[in-house]
Amino acid sequence: MNPFIRLENVSMLYGNNGVSAAALRGVSLSIDAGEYAVITGESGAGKSTLLTILGGLQVPSSGTVLMKGVDLSSLSADRLADFRRETIGFIFQAYHLLPYLTARENVMVPMSPLRTGAREKASLADGLLSSVGLSGKEERLPSELSGGECQRVAIARALVHDPSVLLADEPTGNLDSATGEQILDLFSGLHKAGKTVLMVTHNRGNLMRATRSIRLHDGLVAEDRG
Amino acid sequence: MNIRKLAWKNLFRRKSRAVFTGLGIFLGIGTFVAIASLTAQMEQAVRDKLDRYGANILVTPRTEDLSLGFGDIALGGTQVAHSRLTTADEKAIRGIGMKERLRSVVPFFMTAADASGKNLVWMGMPGTEIATARPWWKFTGAPFGEKGEVVLGSEAAAALDKGPGGTVTSKGKTFRVAGVLHPTGEKEDGMVIASIADVRSLAGSPVGVTFFEVAALCKDCPVEDIVAQIGDALPGARVSAIRQVVESRKAAVDQFRKLGLGVSAIVLAIGGLMVFVTVMGSVQERTKEIGVLRAVGFRRKAILSLLFWETGWVSLLSSVSGALVGVAAAMLAAPLFGVEMAEAAFFPAILGVAIGMALGLLGTIPPARRAAALSPTEAIRSL
Ligand SMILES: Nc1ncnc2c1ncn2[C@@H]1O[C@H](COP(=O)(O)OP(=O)(O)O)[C@@H](O)[C@H]1O
Ligand SMILES: [Mg+2]
Repeated sequence: MNPFIRLENVSMLYGNNGVSAAALRGVSLSIDAGEYAVITGESGAGKSTLLTILGGLQVPSSGTVLMKGVDLSSLSADRLADFRRETIGFIFQAYHLLPYLTARENVMVPMSPLRTGAREKASLADGLLSSVGLSGKEERLPSELSGGECQRVAIARALVHDPSVLLADEPTGNLDSATGEQILDLFSGLHKAGKTVLMVTHNRGNLMRATRSIRLHDGLVAEDRG
Repeated sequence: MNIRKLAWKNLFRRKSRAVFTGLGIFLGIGTFVAIASLTAQMEQAVRDKLDRYGANILVTPRTEDLSLGFGDIALGGTQVAHSRLTTADEKAIRGIGMKERLRSVVPFFMTAADASGKNLVWMGMPGTEIATARPWWKFTGAPFGEKGEVVLGSEAAAALDKGPGGTVTSKGKTFRVAGVLHPTGEKEDGMVIASIADVRSLAGSPVGVTFFEVAALCKDCPVEDIVAQIGDALPGARVSAIRQVVESRKAAVDQFRKLGLGVSAIVLAIGGLMVFVTVMGSVQERTKEIGVLRAVGFRRKAILSLLFWETGWVSLLSSVSGALVGVAAAMLAAPLFGVEMAEAAFFPAILGVAIGMALGLLGTIPPARRAAALSPTEAIRSL
């Protein structure tokens, strides 16, 4: 069977005015559906770069990214956007919620270009918010929520289109360890529910939850344990 | 929630930002509309003032030898007394198709008659029309107000050695000198000016008219058409436009219009730039948010339509309010610029709103395209 996600010799060079730095230097990797992979490595190792390339948020300088058999580099910008919406849920360290929208509205954002009725959208959002433990806080603005709660909103937003892959870049990086544990519990639950999870983390304890651990060093895979 | 609501919420919940963008558009469009309305009003005022300044059409009997000027008429007074124009002709003139363009039709009656022993030309006109037909006249004393009063031209006064309060006799009647006309450089300096009824009775011609002075409103200056219509109404009369008057008015108004257009164009360029720059800035500011929206699956078209809704709302509200305030400001400022009865000029307001909308939307495109061309990662990193 073809692997669910496959990277072939992926390199990423940043900067095009003479000085260019290689963030990834020929990474090849296969990830199967239903894995919970944790990506570690020191700062600057290329973890975020790898994750954004996997999420179709940027294209590599060279190499191929295949997901569900689709070559992401072959997609137009709009097809790539559709692919992100349908297949991938991305969770950022800094949440990246829209500050002027309530929790419910933030969760509804990915649905706003769609023609679905407003009520349907709202009830879907409320269901997701309750599944991440935020019942009763639907009307709060991000500024009225704690960091952990904001990250829960961001996770609910990532789940709107029921993606098969969740990509999370240090989702607990801004949270205290107790709050971080609760967020990781959420991811474990999502993994058990069948999602493929790829998470960049510094959290050692997180390795226990994962089915796979990948360590990057200087733009290369230094260690890969299944 | 849909794109439109998302746009509205962004505007509504980030009011200060929306207000700042709106303010740029408001000021740009408001200034343009104010200046453009004001110059339009001033142009109208210049036109009105010129229209108020004397006649531009002369109606004389065709049968007269028209090489005769006032001076010749003075010599041949009896000729004038047999003028074929009468008071009935005034009705005909006032009945033409373009009658609403006629500001005044003033009959004059001239005759040569004795004045305290000297043979002088008497000029009769309705006393009520002095301000209309001869607005430049200045008097020592007063203009003639009623029957039995006269005004003496400056030379006539000197010849008769009379001043205000004196009397002039003619054909057994006594007239009180109400005032003396300051020198005008025209023939009337040597005349006795009195109410048309008095001069007619001196000549024994109760309905005679020597000539009519017609003042036609000069908007677009359709003077030739008016001349033709009066000519049709009075086949026996010679109707001619006083070309010099018509042309110089046209030139003055045209000059003013060019000035107004020039100033408006400059203000429009500045105001338009202001709209463009503020909108561009406000979209640029949102590059990071655009990256987030792209990351959650917005197509570029969805981003554009979101931004268009946002700038569309802001441009509409702020350019409409800018235009309204601009019109109001022009109305308030008008008296300071010599416009007495300011009429709201709506064309600049409509133009202003259209330009505000167009530039607001146009200003959205470059930064939106730039943001959409970035990968979501780059957009999110940008600050
Ligand atoms: N947009 C960028 N422009 C230039 N250099 C970048 C950019 N993003 C990352 N880098 C560089 O690439 C390397 C890897 O970055 P990153 O993937 O963010 O590492 P990590 O997430 O492991 O800390 C670092 O040296 C970083 O400075
Ligand atoms: Mg990182």
